[in-house]
Amino acid sequence: MMKIWLRRNFSALMALSPALLIVLVVYVGCTIWSVRISLTDSHILPSDHYVGLHNYVRLLNTDRWNTSVGNLVFFGFMFIIASLVTGTLMAILMDQRIKGEALFRTIYLYPLAMSFIVTGLIWEWILQPTLGIQKMMRNFGFAHFHFDWINHSSTVLYTVALAAVWQGSGLVMAIMLAGLRGVDDEIWKAARIEGISPVRTYISIVLPMLGGAIATVTVLLALTVVRLFDLIIAMTGGGPGDSSEVPAKFIYDYLFDHQDIGLATAASTLMLGFVLVFIGPWQIWQWRRDVRGAGR
Amino acid sequence: MARKATTSRRLVMTFVAYTFALILFFPILWMVITSFKSEADAIALPPKFLFFHWTLANYIDVQARNNYWRFAFNSVALSFGSTVLGLIVGIPAAYAFAFAPTKNTKQILLWMLSTKMMPAVGVLVPIYLLLLQFHLLDTFTGLILILFLSNLPIMIWMLYTYFKEIPHEILEASRMDGASRWKEIVYVLSPMAVPGIASTVLLNIILSWNETFWSLNVTNIHAAPLTAFIASYSSPEGLFWAKLSAASTLAVAPIVLLGWFSQRQLVRGLTFGAVK
Repeated sequence: MMKIWLRRNFSALMALSPALLIVLVVYVGCTIWSVRISLTDSHILPSDHYVGLHNYVRLLNTDRWNTSVGNLVFFGFMFIIASLVTGTLMAILMDQRIKGEALFRTIYLYPLAMSFIVTGLIWEWILQPTLGIQKMMRNFGFAHFHFDWINHSSTVLYTVALAAVWQGSGLVMAIMLAGLRGVDDEIWKAARIEGISPVRTYISIVLPMLGGAIATVTVLLALTVVRLFDLIIAMTGGGPGDSSEVPAKFIYDYLFDHQDIGLATAASTLMLGFVLVFIGPWQIWQWRRDVRGAGR
Repeated sequence: MARKATTSRRLVMTFVAYTFALILFFPILWMVITSFKSEADAIALPPKFLFFHWTLANYIDVQARNNYWRFAFNSVALSFGSTVLGLIVGIPAAYAFAFAPTKNTKQILLWMLSTKMMPAVGVLVPIYLLLLQFHLLDTFTGLILILFLSNLPIMIWMLYTYFKEIPHEILEASRMDGASRWKEIVYVLSPMAVPGIASTVLLNIILSWNETFWSLNVTNIHAAPLTAFIASYSSPEGLFWAKLSAASTLAVAPIVLLGWFSQRQLVRGLTFGAVK
């Protein structure tokens, strides 16, 4: 049995193995290695001396780490909700078959092609009081116009979220629009006959039908949140103080500036765990859906 | 789907659509326009939109200050290098997934894809140590390998979804006519797969071009791409509006032009195939 199977699939296996090996060795291998280092007393160089969960205890007692995680959660909620709302609104707008739809779509999706570092830089200038909106308004004669959120620790995360929403809402629009276009025309007809207003129909009937699309979008946005790094580097550098510090930058700083790779790997292990909690259920759900789809 | 909207509602909708478009596009547009202004015009009051003295002085300054062309060359070399490497490994894998599927194919693919969803920072330390060990820090080889590795799962996934759309019957027919596996790939499959491969190449170039995390972490001077160049401008003190705009316009220009042609691929890739 095995022999026949092997002969028939030999070339396929040959074609597949480099990719599989690479992904397996590099991704899984490096992850395991990283977890291993986090359990040792490594500082500048990796060491073989295990110290159990010592690094994790140290990490959880590091204020900066706790602040980073708090910031990320706060930013994440804001960013995900705001992107979902703006993106869905744009998708509904596009669903109205207005003139010039193709052009609008292109423009809405435009920020996606930019890298976060450029997005961050542009928004930093716009939000810097001495360069952007505040200066412009004051030049126009509003001498007391005040807009310096980016320089205050209590408001800086809103400005980061603003830039992120600017870049990310196009993706939400694309997915939601694909969902909206897939909604059966009969539903709209039925709603019209019943005299339900379009706004109501969207809120109570159509959007609840797009649960799958919304779940996918949320997962994708959450993954962007976890990766948040470039935008912070470009916009705030983690400041003022540590008010826009995020885990990815924390790890980067502890690896390069503090040369404390034990702590850095402990932090990255926690991040991985967090992502797994997210992706796991989504993946199982995707896989189940595919299996069901194949059965039909 | 399409509802019969009244004219006035349609007008409102179009107006709102324009407003969104303006908000989204304005920062980019303003950046490009400002980059052609003199510093005096850039802060002039009221802001000059089109009627000012257009100048290339900022671009010349940026080139003189940072040697833009070297970074640009690095970006091109890195994204093309990693893409070629990705195709060499990715095409056979996607081929196998699409044309010789087993009952586990879907799971393996999803698992591969999920590795791409992990935050890069999770493997930063081991990768950094490996590069250090092999003296690959700040080299093209090092960064090309990393870009290749980080984009491989998404490349295979993209190629797979395109290959799967090629009808199996054609391959069977050619096999009936006595074509060998090799001939089948070269003469039958390849021509049909070209659009999918081209799309994947575009996506991968954009992803590699925009990659910042690794570029900042493992390069310094020698192999630093444009994202690192632009990051060096991240504190605006002592710099001026117009020069900053020129620097960032230079950094995004190639990708913004490419983005115009490849939006569909970009969306398909970034949504992991959720939108085709």
